[in-house]
Amino acid sequence: MTTIWLGLFSGIAFGFVIQRIGATDAHRMARSHLMLDADIPRFMVLTVALSAVGLLGLQAVGMGRTLPLPTSIVATGLAAVIFGIGWGLTGYCPGTTWAAVGEGRMDAIFALLGGLAGTALFAQLHETLIPVLYDPTNVGQITLTDLFGNHAAAVAVLAIGFGLCTWGIGKLWGSRERIVAVEGGPDTETSPGNAEKKAE
Amino acid sequence: MEHTNREPIPYWNWIPAAFALAGIIVFIFATYGPPASSSGFVSTLKGFFEWVAPDYVAAKVHYQAIPGPGAWLFAFVLGMAIGGFVAGRTSKKIPVRDMPPIWKRRFGDSRAKRYTATFFGGFLILFGSRLAGGCTLGLFISGSTQLAISGLYFGVVIFAVAMLTARLTFGKIAEKEDIQ
Repeated sequence: MTTIWLGLFSGIAFGFVIQRIGATDAHRMARSHLMLDADIPRFMVLTVALSAVGLLGLQAVGMGRTLPLPTSIVATGLAAVIFGIGWGLTGYCPGTTWAAVGEGRMDAIFALLGGLAGTALFAQLHETLIPVLYDPTNVGQITLTDLFGNHAAAVAVLAIGFGLCTWGIGKLWGSRERIVAVEGGPDTETSPGNAEKKAE
Repeated sequence: MEHTNREPIPYWNWIPAAFALAGIIVFIFATYGPPASSSGFVSTLKGFFEWVAPDYVAAKVHYQAIPGPGAWLFAFVLGMAIGGFVAGRTSKKIPVRDMPPIWKRRFGDSRAKRYTATFFGGFLILFGSRLAGGCTLGLFISGSTQLAISGLYFGVVIFAVAMLTARLTFGKIAEKEDIQ
């Protein structure tokens, strides 16, 4: 029971933060992918760098459960291509879909339904696809620690590498002026629930 | 970082936001394990199929691997929806739209077209996530935090392909007009 409350609490906090950074806004996501707005990619990359350092701290005091997923050269790569097409087209990824549904975005509700359909189809085909696509090129649960030999050194490489990425993204993206997306613009579309809020 | 003086930026600054999210992620590693959200879709379906077709669920490997709705994974995605709801209701500045303006300029006003596209897009992101074993959170963020090569590999490819897809989809209008 405790784990359910922990999950719920973690989800609420997570959903709140990703809404505030604008990751649930498909418009902002599209601008990020078009390299017009650097904030979301920088935010994601910095989050990973900080989390990796935090996780190292947890492990130093003997806490934290980890389970790195295996790498399948074909399946992980192919899955990423399929995922990237969906993400680039709609601006939603699985986590942001749930938060955007809570926010009341109608298009996210359809993304969620499509997601359930995609999950159901994959679950149906699992026994057929995994032995063909995943297993032959599965190289196991490899991590940067295997490459660098030392866990702390690998975390340092990742944190510094991702830190440099945030700087690089800032340089490459967002050469134009920053996003301004507030209510009342010519293209603003509000759902009925939001119209009430406006009237307040 | 230049600010335009027309309107205030409604979103949080990315640096404190990253500290906040990393704090939550470390909390999740301490109290549960690697965070994931695409697994929540499997939990949802498992709950549904256990109700309508229990024999089907029992026979399928994909449903055996992930717990039903009465566990952390589903509680987390449900929490995400609640968090999104609370955040949406408490922000007067961040617009909640049924259709992104950039989409509207490219494909017009049709809601049917947008909803069909997000259904198809949602289908692709989840089909891909289930094949890889995780999504942006469950594989890229959680995996890279654990230094997993799978997470880094997945992350690089999803960004590259999404950027290319967005360019092919919206690139022309993004060049022509100043899309805010």
